Amino acid sequence: MTGTTLERDRRRVSSPPPSVAFEPRRRGMRIPPPIVLALVLVPFLVEAVGVFWPAFQGVALSFLHWNGIGPARNVGVQNFVDLFSDPIFITALKNTAIWIVLFGGISFLAGLGVAMLFQSERRGVGIYRTALFLPIVFSLVVTALIWGTFFQPNGVLNNALDAVGLHSWTRVWLGDSNTALYVVIVAALWREIGYVMVLFIAGLKALDPSVQEAARVDGATTWQRFWHVTFPQMRSVNLVVLSVLIIDSLRSFDIVWAMTKGGPYHSTELLSTYMFSTAFETHALGYASAIAVVIFILAIAVIVSYLVRALSEEKES
Amino acid sequence: MTLKISRLLSVFGSTVAATVLLAGCVSTGSAVQAAKDGPDASGPLILQSRFTDAEKGGIEELVKNFNAKGEGTVKLNSIPTDTFNTQLPSYLTSKNPPDVYTWYAGQATRDFADQKLLLDLSSVWAKNTNEFPGALHTLSKDSSGSEVFVPTGYYWWGMYYFKSDFEKLGVTPPKTWDEFLTVAAKIKSQGVNPFTMGLSDNAWLASAWFDYLDVRINGGDFHLKLLAGKKSYDSPEVRKVFAAFKQVLPDFDPAILGTSHNQAVSDFSQGKSAMYLLGAWAQPSVPADKRDDLAFFQFPIVDPSVPIAEEAPTDGLIASAKTDKPKLVKRFLAYVATAEAQTQLAKGQQGTALPANLNATLTLDPLSTQGQAMLKSAKQITQFYNRDAGDAQQTPADTAMTSFIAHPENLDQILKDWDAAAKKIRATS
Repeated sequence: MTGTTLERDRRRVSSPPPSVAFEPRRRGMRIPPPIVLALVLVPFLVEAVGVFWPAFQGVALSFLHWNGIGPARNVGVQNFVDLFSDPIFITALKNTAIWIVLFGGISFLAGLGVAMLFQSERRGVGIYRTALFLPIVFSLVVTALIWGTFFQPNGVLNNALDAVGLHSWTRVWLGDSNTALYVVIVAALWREIGYVMVLFIAGLKALDPSVQEAARVDGATTWQRFWHVTFPQMRSVNLVVLSVLIIDSLRSFDIVWAMTKGGPYHSTELLSTYMFSTAFETHALGYASAIAVVIFILAIAVIVSYLVRALSEEKES
Repeated sequence: MTLKISRLLSVFGSTVAATVLLAGCVSTGSAVQAAKDGPDASGPLILQSRFTDAEKGGIEELVKNFNAKGEGTVKLNSIPTDTFNTQLPSYLTSKNPPDVYTWYAGQATRDFADQKLLLDLSSVWAKNTNEFPGALHTLSKDSSGSEVFVPTGYYWWGMYYFKSDFEKLGVTPPKTWDEFLTVAAKIKSQGVNPFTMGLSDNAWLASAWFDYLDVRINGGDFHLKLLAGKKSYDSPEVRKVFAAFKQVLPDFDPAILGTSHNQAVSDFSQGKSAMYLLGAWAQPSVPADKRDDLAFFQFPIVDPSVPIAEEAPTDGLIASAKTDKPKLVKRFLAYVATAEAQTQLAKGQQGTALPANLNATLTLDPLSTQGQAMLKSAKQITQFYNRDAGDAQQTPADTAMTSFIAHPENLDQILKDWDAAAKKIRATS
């Protein structure tokens, strides 16, 4: 089979909208066959028992004072009121915002940048792509170990700074509340940029090259071609990347926990690490659940707005 | 489109409303059932252990010897320490929990006992009460005075150093606080850090300094009252502790907040830092060829008028109140309490623990002998910060100690925050 017949086949398959065939049946509102019911209900039940019910219990817990072993006390919204006078929670909230802006923002820009750089099929470009994507195969805990060694007091970075005569620049990177958070973000970025790059390359590959060609013929500069032609066409990919980044920021836990455990003195605490230590180290399960509810609301706000946009786009098309 | 948003919102809203209504229905009650009478259920007894591979030799031996006696079968489950510590409340409150657990004496055990989660072990104690020191007997009781804990061993904390390093630096182990400061100054003048700690992954190690300074300055009674929530951290007594800590703060390796415990032990073993306040458990982490060179001295006396208290964390076993094999549990724990079993257990721990049973026959190495003598001469025994105050109090203590190390000038705020955090944990958990 040659390339052209393949192309023709694909077009033929995609030409009649598949939904048409089922249209009359949907109008009849007949009860679906049992196999369909089973295929819907079984996953729903698994999801309900495994996800919805625990999530529901988590929200219910946030109205209690409970240490996991004694009797629980219902305290209404007290846990939520306490949250906003808790300096550690405020720090965690602030750090989570910094995390979203820096981790999310830099991943987005750098991911897009390297994707633009490595999108075209040139000789050897695969090596660069692989190199950037490689960090993703390491677990975050391993990543944390590697970067922890890099940043430790007598680690690679401080030794390198010493060697080039910049002794005054050396720091206890992970033990200094002014630098620790940013150091952890660097480690997290190292891994995330490759991932975002892959998402963007996939998006760029789907673009029609003839539009680019037309812009070039019309005399658009490189920047104009990017800003007015490529970027607007990537709207749906951008949306996916943004959602992924915000959700990744909100659930970032492992790398912070492995590198600093939220310390020194809570200066790298994120909402997720503070929730964990409150639940499993100070055994305040109700209070920890209240933090979890705040994380949930922040995440759901992102997901809902994403779904709303995705649904509206589907409708338009 | 707007229809969809409002539908989403209404679904979300009603979920929240339903949840609030049902908040009281979460299964948080610990339905406690008394240990069953009548014959034991069949099957082996499950012993849940937190000991790491390096430490578990002793307990494996113990289980093997009990099984060989033919009085029942015990199955040992080894779980990583961190997981074990966070999971223990879940084990104990589950419907069919494992039967026996390794655990810490003191408040850590009392927290569970007060919720009636632990099996009453008075019949085990009745047989051999006089084989244990009185202090350990008291530690093994719950608030109402019945025994719920069988001690297997205890260890000491000391200021560790290498004899050859001290010789090279021209110093001898100090006895008083002033001598201690002089020694530190002399070491520092030779370009060596007098003290180190690995706080980046083990911030709790700083509590050893707090504990020792507090018992040396304010005495063991004040210390235990403070940790039990009966005294305030924002008090003149605690300020004295931090004033003393501030005196030695410049003598620490300046990177302690960013140094891991393993790195700190390595710096200490290589002579980059001269002293490390540690428990006996840390001895095996020193390279084997330096083991004979390792020594420790008692934490210096600050105020000679204060009765000497020492930290002697006690380890042992507890049993779940819900076990369906109470008779086997008691047979096993009675065996664990014997001098013979404790001798074997201590042998498997590389000289880092002293057997709790007074009749245990064990040839102690020089460090163990010194540790035992130090604890015997103490007027009072404390455990360690988290064991005396309850595990939940460790986090605010870590915050206070590490932020003081970085910003000693913020003491007022640090103590205010510590006191507030400790009170909040008592109120909310």
